Amino acid sequence: MRLVIARCTVNYSGRLDAHLPEAIRLIMVKADGCVAIHADGGAYKPLNWMNAPNRLNEEEDGALWTVTNEKGEKLIITIHEVISESSAEMGTDPGLQKDGVEAHLQELLAANPDLIADGTVLVRREYPTDIGPVDLLCRDASGSAIAVELKRRGEIDGVEQLTRYLEFLNRDGNLRPVTGVFAAQEIKPQARVLAQDRGIRCLLLDYDEMRGIESNELKLF
Amino acid sequence: MKFRCERDALVDQLTASSRAVSNRGGALPVLTGVFLSVDDDVLTIIGSDLDLTVRSSLRVTVIDPGKAVVPARLIVDIVRSLDSGAVEISIQGDEAKISGGRSNFALRTLPVDDFPILPQPSGNKVTVTSEALSYGLRQVVMAASSDDARPILTGVLLSAEEGGLRLVATDSYRLAVRDLPDATVLNEGQKVLVPSRALNELIRVLGDADEVVVRLGDRDVTFDVVTDIGSVQVTTRLIEGEFPNYRQLIPSSYPNQVVVAREPLLEAVRRVKLMAREATPLRITQKLNTLELMAITQDVGQAHEEVDAIYDGEELTVAFNAEYLIQGLEAATGDEVVLETLDALKPAVLRSNSGGDFLYLLMPVRVS
Repeated sequence: MRLVIARCTVNYSGRLDAHLPEAIRLIMVKADGCVAIHADGGAYKPLNWMNAPNRLNEEEDGALWTVTNEKGEKLIITIHEVISESSAEMGTDPGLQKDGVEAHLQELLAANPDLIADGTVLVRREYPTDIGPVDLLCRDASGSAIAVELKRRGEIDGVEQLTRYLEFLNRDGNLRPVTGVFAAQEIKPQARVLAQDRGIRCLLLDYDEMRGIESNELKLF
Repeated sequence: MKFRCERDALVDQLTASSRAVSNRGGALPVLTGVFLSVDDDVLTIIGSDLDLTVRSSLRVTVIDPGKAVVPARLIVDIVRSLDSGAVEISIQGDEAKISGGRSNFALRTLPVDDFPILPQPSGNKVTVTSEALSYGLRQVVMAASSDDARPILTGVLLSAEEGGLRLVATDSYRLAVRDLPDATVLNEGQKVLVPSRALNELIRVLGDADEVVVRLGDRDVTFDVVTDIGSVQVTTRLIEGEFPNYRQLIPSSYPNQVVVAREPLLEAVRRVKLMAREATPLRITQKLNTLELMAITQDVGQAHEEVDAIYDGEELTVAFNAEYLIQGLEAATGDEVVLETLDALKPAVLRSNSGGDFLYLLMPVRVS
């Protein structure tokens, strides 16, 4: 990632023509070739940009940048004064984790298996079965296996999923009998009924409490 | 299946049953519909999400007996949109035809064989005066939680208390208790937890009915109500679990007691609440023979009002959620209420100054 803060003028020539008059702006040149010109405001949208693939030519001792894409569209940046310039190797981005809470709940419960029942110990997170990994496999105080499926919102689908895992886990003579715990921040009444009908225990998780965050709210209970 | 009836009565019964219908149907798409059956001059309409079931019935002119399941929301909207007068509904194959006046609708039915066989109500019948039960329920149901994360708090506790019935509900921020001394519904020592959603539906259907018949089963409770146009039966699954021990939260005495006229205080709180925005609490300062109400919302403004009261204790400021305070004042009876406080962080009690059977415990809001 190359970052240049410069007093510059920008002209775009393509499907339409656009002109940014002389001003101080941030020019970002990303590793994949994308070029974006930002003002000192707005959350994310650049004033002008050129997507990759493109070609960046720097002429006149770096004072004239011409970015040309495959369609022949041009972004011409005239740099009048460079205020700062830096580059950094950022590596591959791991991507957006859509549900960090669910992953964090798994991590927190794995660290505190006593929340499932006193004396419970963790065997493994993401314990593999033939149809995919179950979130947690634990042993209770008596040594019996417990499979735990974690959700933010506990619905019928989650109970069905855990039922399928239990069916496979109970085929393993080293684990059998495996009981199920359906753990979620919120469990829908129908999911609760289905779980109880199948002998699966429901466990409500208080995310704040698990993180050790004390609420400032005053409560009766 | 074919029958004819009056539009207004049909709308009422369809609406009552459709309130129990699941929005999405979940694992059973047929549950997005209402089950209709006509036989012996009676139309029975059933809506259910398997937790709550509402069966309503209505006398109709039966042309051809039969049964069908039709999309609940759609049929309610269609029948409601028709002009008053006769409505005719017939089922041909997988199509329901609805006609009234010069309007005609045809809609696809849902597979009738998929509709689950719902258990019949069980338990002994106990008849209760509708008016007292309806009023008592209205006083407490609003305090029940709507947060499914704590299912026990989404219910109303019904417990046998000194020969009568006690209703208790809490969302952990406030708690409402109402005693119905003359209602003998439960056996001595018995207590059950009934979903507030079902009780809200019961309150709607009780309307002007004189009596309600209660049948308590092992896992469910059924309320039968006969109305002017037919009958409505509400069956709900009971909530399993232990209701919090609320008795320990109610101190036997309070050092600070303010007596204040209920209606003027209620109006003042409603006015001051206009400036209690974005979860800003309403502050009440108890002064000599005065209650001072104040709400300040940063960058918006503030409101201030004084209300006459009878108080000779030390000056004390306690902040409350304005909406919860309003609901407590609305539920309380009598011309005057007593507000009892310990300090700014302990639960306060609101009750009628003339005694009565209602008590409202309200948790303060912490303010800097």
